[in-house]
Amino acid sequence: MRSDTPGGGRRLDEVLERTIRDIDIPPRPAIIDRICHEMRQDQPNFKYIGEQISADVSLAAALIKTVNSPYFGFRRRCRSVHEALLMLGLDATSRAIAAISLREAFPGSAHYERFWQASAQIAALSGWLAQLVRKSGLRADDAYTYGLFRDCGIVILLRRFPDYMATLDRANHEAERAFTDIEVEVLPTNHSVVGSLLAQNWWLPEEICLAIRYHHDRDAIEQFESGLPAASRYLVAASQTAEHILQQVTGGSHTEEWHKLGSSSQRLLGLDDSALGDLYDRGAALIASNS
Amino acid sequence: MHDTGSDLDPITGFLNRIAGLSAASRAVARAESTGDGLAVLWLDIDRFRQINQSFGHVGGDRVIAEVAKRLRQTLSADCLLLRMGSDEFVALMPSLQRQTATEVCQRLLAAIESPLAIDDLLMHPSVSMGIAVHAAGEDPLSLLERADRAMIEAKRRGGKRLIVSGDEPVAGRLGVQLARDELAIEADLHKALESGCLALEYQPLVALDGRIEAVEALMRCDLPGRRLMPGKFIPVAEKTGLIVRLGEWSLLQGAQFAARLRDEGVATRVAINVSRAQLNSRSFTPALQAALICANVAPALIELEFTESLFLDLSEIVQGNLRSARLAGVGMAIDDFGYGYSCLANLKDLPANKLKLDRSFIKVLPADRRAYAVVKAMAMLGRELGMTVVAEGVETAEQQAAVEGAAVDAVQGYFHARPMPEEAMLAWLKEKSTHAL
Repeated sequence: MRSDTPGGGRRLDEVLERTIRDIDIPPRPAIIDRICHEMRQDQPNFKYIGEQISADVSLAAALIKTVNSPYFGFRRRCRSVHEALLMLGLDATSRAIAAISLREAFPGSAHYERFWQASAQIAALSGWLAQLVRKSGLRADDAYTYGLFRDCGIVILLRRFPDYMATLDRANHEAERAFTDIEVEVLPTNHSVVGSLLAQNWWLPEEICLAIRYHHDRDAIEQFESGLPAASRYLVAASQTAEHILQQVTGGSHTEEWHKLGSSSQRLLGLDDSALGDLYDRGAALIASNS
Repeated sequence: MHDTGSDLDPITGFLNRIAGLSAASRAVARAESTGDGLAVLWLDIDRFRQINQSFGHVGGDRVIAEVAKRLRQTLSADCLLLRMGSDEFVALMPSLQRQTATEVCQRLLAAIESPLAIDDLLMHPSVSMGIAVHAAGEDPLSLLERADRAMIEAKRRGGKRLIVSGDEPVAGRLGVQLARDELAIEADLHKALESGCLALEYQPLVALDGRIEAVEALMRCDLPGRRLMPGKFIPVAEKTGLIVRLGEWSLLQGAQFAARLRDEGVATRVAINVSRAQLNSRSFTPALQAALICANVAPALIELEFTESLFLDLSEIVQGNLRSARLAGVGMAIDDFGYGYSCLANLKDLPANKLKLDRSFIKVLPADRRAYAVVKAMAMLGRELGMTVVAEGVETAEQQAAVEGAAVDAVQGYFHARPMPEEAMLAWLKEKSTHAL
């Protein structure tokens, strides 16, 4: 897909633009902008935001369902959008809505059904793990949101570059080098950079954006000098462990990521081999109930 | 009276702030009477906010305890140690003159930097230090304040260093206040990045024939109840590295606006400012490409603006990033030209296709004939190098006439339009294009 001659590159871009016009990142849901607008006020109007959310019946239902789900980590059950808002606060509500809207925001989402299913399972397992390991700064709702957003760059790149599937396959089976190193051999960018730009555009918190950016970078996760916040490291570790459990339990497609990042993830979360072993059965039950 | 221990800070075992101040008074009085000399070291842990954020307060306390231990081990037994604030320490070092005190502190800097494990993560703590040596007749508060000010100067220069009081520029209380303001701005920027407080405004660059050459994106930060001005927050963002995230945010935002203008039938290049820190990072090219892909916009509709300060240090990474942007077909403009570090050799080698003359030359037109001569010469130079030459900061009809006389290609400034929000810019461009038909 890449053309290194300036003239040729430009022509190719023009062709691309004519043929696949609607291929760009999904716009941020308008309700997130309204919430942000309210957050900038001295006295945010919760009632107004509640009405805005409730005006979209399916969004309201999804919000209540998500907040009450076991992987979101809230003990108290909420029955209305208003209760959800009070429990979560505006910023966490905005994140929950981002998580709910992400998949719908991609046109032609059905093409990537298996991808989104796997993301949803990883997100649910991540939220559950976050509650089990109890690390300071690691929130279950963030782990859930992060699990959904972590790989959304893949969908964007798949829609733009038809050959990307083959690259993904090679990256998934690369045992030594970083996943993203394989991507940049054939693409001008990689899915973690693309995903972090989208997350930032949707006003997700810094810890989540950085965790998306560095989720294949072992040095960034392991070394303090990378400056990566601990919460981001925990998010990466929780989702890697969640993905590993999913692959163990379902026997589905295996990747090499656990080989590369597993020991760091276990160390960060404080899970030794036997503790991890115990999680397989419990995770299987959760996956079954979530399917 | 017995020491009940209530004067001691429980984490470090040092004297707390209140007890510390009276100890400092006694030390000064003793130095005055014996004439032995006294040096005061003020020490502050670098990136402590980040440490607390990363490891929580328990982790933060462990770093405090460890730094305290290293202080105790490195300094001689007659030094009195105080904990002044959450991450601030003072050492009163009797019988020390400037030279010895400096040597001791350099040893201390090295000792503190040895690695420390928290939560299985290895970190190298670093500190900023300021020393002041007691001058005859000086009161204890002034002595402490000089050490504090030297420490703040060390912090201002990036931390991990020692400044001796008297060596720092005379900043006084104002300088101290500035450093504290910067910390507040940094916190505001973090908040802005996750609560939708950032926006881009756009200002057109108008060619002499009336065509729109480009629109420049300018960052705005509106916090609850107040607007943070770019002149204030950009320097802080540059110092703290936050500029990289802000810059990536603008790349995508600006590229999306370029796509929108194209879709609305008024395709116009969008110029986006990039900082030296961004261009000096290996992640710049992937981020630029990701923004182009995400916005689905042709590279030719994007222009990067950077200032001459880039010339100071054209590292291999910077050159590589500029090369690959150029190769992709992204336009490049040198901003604020002629004001700072202009170097003609670099101008010759940079892959820029636009030269924006600094507003300081324009604002004195048409009265200043020498400025006019410089503008005219720079316009000719730019043109000979195949660049589009733009005059920045044109505010009046007289200035417009002058830059037309100097034969620049395009003009930017209040005379044509002020920066405006996205919707207004779109409407303005649409109106221009109907008039042109």
